[in-house]
Amino acid sequence: MVKWFRSYGLMCKWTFLSSRPWLSLNLAVQLGISVAFIYGMGYFYGDIATATAKYLTTGSPTIVLLTVGLVVVPQVVASMRSEGTFDYIWSLPVPRMAHIAADATNTFGSMVPGILLSIILGKFHFGFDLNISWLVLPAVLLTAATATFVGYTIAFAVPKPMMVNIITQLMIFFVMMFSPVMYPSVNLPQWLQSVHTVLPIQYMADLMRGTLTDLPANIGQSFLVVGAWFVGTFILTYFMVRRRN
Amino acid sequence: MLLEIQNITKIYKGKVKANDNISLSIAEGEVFGLLGPNGAGKTTLVNQVIGLTKPTSGSITINGVDAIAKPDYSREVCSFQAQVQAPISGLSTMQAIELAGRIRGGKKAEVHKRALELAEKLELTEWQKTLGLNISGGVRRLVAFCMAAVVPGKIVILDEPTNDVDPLRRRTIWQEVQTLAKQGSAVLLVTHNILEAERVVDRLAIIDQGQVKGMGTPASLKESEGDVMRLELILEPKAAAPSLPDFLKKPVVINRRILSDVQPKNTTKAIEWARGLKENGTIEEFYLGPATLEDVYVRLVKTHEDTEHHERDAR
Repeated sequence: MVKWFRSYGLMCKWTFLSSRPWLSLNLAVQLGISVAFIYGMGYFYGDIATATAKYLTTGSPTIVLLTVGLVVVPQVVASMRSEGTFDYIWSLPVPRMAHIAADATNTFGSMVPGILLSIILGKFHFGFDLNISWLVLPAVLLTAATATFVGYTIAFAVPKPMMVNIITQLMIFFVMMFSPVMYPSVNLPQWLQSVHTVLPIQYMADLMRGTLTDLPANIGQSFLVVGAWFVGTFILTYFMVRRRN
Repeated sequence: MLLEIQNITKIYKGKVKANDNISLSIAEGEVFGLLGPNGAGKTTLVNQVIGLTKPTSGSITINGVDAIAKPDYSREVCSFQAQVQAPISGLSTMQAIELAGRIRGGKKAEVHKRALELAEKLELTEWQKTLGLNISGGVRRLVAFCMAAVVPGKIVILDEPTNDVDPLRRRTIWQEVQTLAKQGSAVLLVTHNILEAERVVDRLAIIDQGQVKGMGTPASLKESEGDVMRLELILEPKAAAPSLPDFLKKPVVINRRILSDVQPKNTTKAIEWARGLKENGTIEEFYLGPATLEDVYVRLVKTHEDTEHHERDAR
């Protein structure tokens, strides 16, 4: 276990240093998107009600985390697979999941400033109150980890890295347009509501809203469903990164 | 033997047989060369030793431990310079070398000292703080070599370590390879550079189409060619290959080069004949000398698609 954490620490350093040349640009883009999201909502809806603004603003962290997990992670992994980066890293005496965990930590860490900014900016711009629970920390960590491991599962399961791009584009389109994150699930047709009872997306959104605000959300059920998805995708990733050609 | 590879066969999906019943062993302190053309199966073989790829059949033991069942053990005891470039774009050269050393279990101060020593030997000091994305492919390759050598394992596997590296630094790399062996590591060296490998390896195997075509010390492999001299002709560009006289045996044509055996009693005739070709503008130059390792390699590995065709023309 000591070796695992030592390797994790060293791989965190490696992945952080590797992302450093693009870190400032990455941060600037994220912060810019957060600002654009908050102000853009105001323009999109015109005279937006505070309750609607609160609902939309507290949905944005879920959208950001899902975008990173379902698009950024698979595309980066696909690119690393094509370039042979994994072959290099995995020839080192590093537990493979320690490398994956370090990569996930770095990816998630780079998203935090944008998420925080969008919530804080939304609160002050639209003038709604937040009701932050201590559960927000495990909720954010679980949501981020699940989104990231869903991304790893896709990235390692798809045989040809080039196919990953197409799949991730389709998935994010589904998340943005046909998932109850920015609107309630009752707006969807019945069959799609049923689909979303087993997918983690609406539960991720409930975790965020339920721990950031006083909006009604079934926190316990959301932790259970998202937790089950995390365990499932973690196990799948574990077996996929350990397999040899 | 430290590394024992027994009857390794690797068949990829799609029925491509990359390794076909390969057996070899390497002792502590030995430099073992793995030579062969592109696609011969060299990288597949080392990837199986390091646990990146699983053999279809056969066994690999390191220090008596089953390396196929325990790939983690294999990675603990093998330090590896892969054929692909190291992913160090965001790291400075020293950060990359030191991190690799720390990952291999080295202590911070010792790793730092050794990294500086290697950087100095390979004249990398001017790039110590330069990020990987701003250095040339050759320097990146040198950094990857240092990453494998900074805390060497019991087995050091180097896959094409001198690709893109300038001649002087290549010489330093070979010196370091020999130092690693003197310090007790077994070095498995994958290379195309036959002439340089000849000077550094203790033994070697020539691999082609997934099979070992020849194995032994450079001297024993050359001896296997028999007591013959080798005549090499370099054709003028666009010149047609000449008809070879009967005293030239086993001709092989590779692009503009024609290699053939000459019995010692026929060397004078061969020189006169070659001089005639030079005078009439058929060849640029010729060499006559004892068989080299490259001759052995060329003889054993006939991968060029046009070899047989040219061979017929040469006759």
